[in-house]
Order: sequence, then structure tokens, then C-alpha cells
Amino acid sequence: MTISDETLMAYADGELDAAARAAVESAMLNDPQIEKRLAQHQALRLRVQAAYSAELSEALPERLLMAARGVPSQPAGNVVNLQEARAAMERSAPRAAPRRPWQSAGALAASLIVGVAVGFLMWGRSQSPLVFGAGGTLVARGPLAQALSNQLASEQSPSSSVRVEVSFLAKSGEYCRTFSLSREASSSGLACRHGDEWQVQILARGPAAGGDSEYRTAGSGLPASILKSVEGQIAGDPLDRAGEKAARDRGWKSIAP
Amino acid sequence: MNTSETPQNVHEQIVTLLPRLRRFARNLTRNPHDADDVVQIALERALTRLDQWRRDARLDSWMFKIVRNAWIDELRFRARRDKVFLAAEAGDSIGTDSMARETDLLSVQSAMARLPEDQREAVSLVLVEGLPYREAAEVLDIPMGTLTSRLARGREALQALLGTEGETP
Repeated sequence: MTISDETLMAYADGELDAAARAAVESAMLNDPQIEKRLAQHQALRLRVQAAYSAELSEALPERLLMAARGVPSQPAGNVVNLQEARAAMERSAPRAAPRRPWQSAGALAASLIVGVAVGFLMWGRSQSPLVFGAGGTLVARGPLAQALSNQLASEQSPSSSVRVEVSFLAKSGEYCRTFSLSREASSSGLACRHGDEWQVQILARGPAAGGDSEYRTAGSGLPASILKSVEGQIAGDPLDRAGEKAARDRGWKSIAP
Repeated sequence: MNTSETPQNVHEQIVTLLPRLRRFARNLTRNPHDADDVVQIALERALTRLDQWRRDARLDSWMFKIVRNAWIDELRFRARRDKVFLAAEAGDSIGTDSMARETDLLSVQSAMARLPEDQREAVSLVLVEGLPYREAAEVLDIPMGTLTSRLARGREALQALLGTEGETP
């Protein structure tokens, strides 16, 4: 019995039904040539699969992850407004309670999210260091909130996933601190203490260490957009070590302007 | 939406498929930058058309098809702009010939890049992505018989380019 090459190929690809497989197998017993041809098909298949398997473990670009999760692509300039980011988050979490109308407007327009804000959202609700608070503000939580409350710029553990750089008193009377996150969507931001939560004013793409130089000012370690925001809000000079510690020990309670 | 699948679940499934979508797109485009652009376009399209995905259909096949259509559109767009797209030139972007001789990994990929497009698509879907013939034929919009003959010719060409197992390519 002759076995066509297409049949052997289909055998190697797992496309034959039981009867056809049995026919190939019994033909092989009588003809070692068939076995050899089949082995070639199988070897080629394995070789091709092996050659392409490494691609599956490559790191994925953030823009594709965001696109897959339905987060709108970033407009030019990498600036995304908070309203869009929030809408994207709500689209990806349909079971969340609907937002009440009185919560919707407000502080949104005042805030800008740059670049990776949407990157945080893709971590999913359970892991994101940011959540949307009442009125659409962006609030730090988890390790980020803890670091903002407790970590002094002068006493940081290199292993911490959050770095706090500059602490200052803003013109509003609130204490604000810049931070950098070292997780995969590495980024920096500015958060101000409002009541008992840290509200994030601005976020920027820009790793805490290395890379992405266009967003960074030489020597500062912080993206230019963050520095600009600090300059716009700061009253006086940044807190020194003693000032930072005193503010922390008072729970970052705001000072009437 | 006729099942309990939430859009979030579908998004997560698509994220899981991303490495394969990228890999398929690279085989189509033979250029990693084009591949990522095409995948991004395909993702955006897929998400606006989720309601067109039949829940009894395989999500990977459906996405492969969208990736391929996005690439076809891109090629048409380039042709309209009268930009010359030279297959040979694009093929060079993944690995160089000197690298290709060094490792099996690159030699398979550079051999793939030399296949005619129709054979490369068939080999890519069946051998690399592991789709059943029926699914691959559906992605490519061709009858099963056409798929199997392209696959057979593609395999033959690969075998010739790579040499048989044990021999030096």
C-alpha cells in the first residue's frame, strides 16, 4: 500500500482519524521508507516549533498590552486625561458599581495623567498602586501609600519598590511628595496629602533609573513634567531631612495656607 | 454576548494570546516593527468588533485572521502610496545571513522568510501556531485542499533549505 506524502504530513500534524492513522501505521510495518519519510515530517515540525518557542517568552511592549486591554492608545505627547483613563478602567471592570452622577465631574479636568497612568490600570484592580477615589481623584494605596506616609527620602531601602524623592509644602498648605515606582511600568509621580489619603496629581513615564532620557532632566532623576509640577506648587524650598521627619511625625497634616 | 463571558475575560484571553499574535505577525511581515504595528491595529479592531466573534469559534483563529487582514490592508495602503515593498529587503530584517548560519534557530527563521507568502502563512499557522488544518484554512479564507497543498509545498521548501535532520544546513 502506498501512502501519499500529504497523508504522512497530516499524520505528523495530528490531522488523521483513528482509521487513517492505523492504515499508516500498518503500512509502516511493511515499508521502512514510510517510517523514514514520516520521521522527516515530524522532525521538521519539531524543529520549526523549537525555533519559534523563544519568541513566546519575550517581553511584550506596553502599547500592545494596553491595546489588548482596550485602553485607548496614547495621543501625541503621551498625555492622556484622567477622564479617558477612568473610562477605560471602568470598561475593563464592568462589575464595578456605577458611579453616582455627583461624583463624576470635578477635579478631573485639573489633573493630567502622562503616559503610564494607563499602565497602572492594566495591572488590574487588585494590584494597582492607584485607585480612583471619590470625585475621580486618583488615590495611592498599598505599598505606594505606605511608602508615601512612612518612608523618608533619607532612609530608603534599595529593595523597596517605591522611592520617595522630594517632599515639600505646597502653596495649598498640603504636603506633597514625588515618588518613583520600579515595577515593570516604571514611572514617577507627585502625590499630595489630602485629608487622610495621598492624591496623585500627576504621573509620568520615566524609570527611576536609566532609560527614557527625553522625559528626564539631567541629574534630577525625575521626569521634567513632574519637576514642572513641583515648581508650580511648591511654597519655599523642599523639606530637608529634619523637616521631612517632622512632617511625617505629624501625619503629613496640612497647614492652613 | 450570549454567554457569561465578561469583556474583561476576553481582554485577558487576548492578552494571553499576544505572544502568539506577535509571532504570527512577524512571520507575515518579516519585520518586527511592522509586526507590532499590525498587532496593535488588529487589537484595536478586534475590541471594537468583539460582538462579531462567535463564542463557539476559537479566539486565536479569529484574532489571527484579524492580524492577517490588518497586514493585507497595510500592504494595500503601502501599494497605494506607491511605496515599494521589497520582500527580499524585508526578509533581511530578522537576522542576517551570517547569523543564520550560526544557529539552527535563525536558520529556520531565515528559511521561513524565504518561503513564498502563501506557503509561509500556511506553515506559520499549522507548524508554528499549531492550528488544526480546518482552523488555518478558515483564517486564510481558502479551501482545505488549498491549505494542505500550500503546506506540503512549504514543508518541502523548508526541508530543502534546512537540510534533513543531522545534516549541516
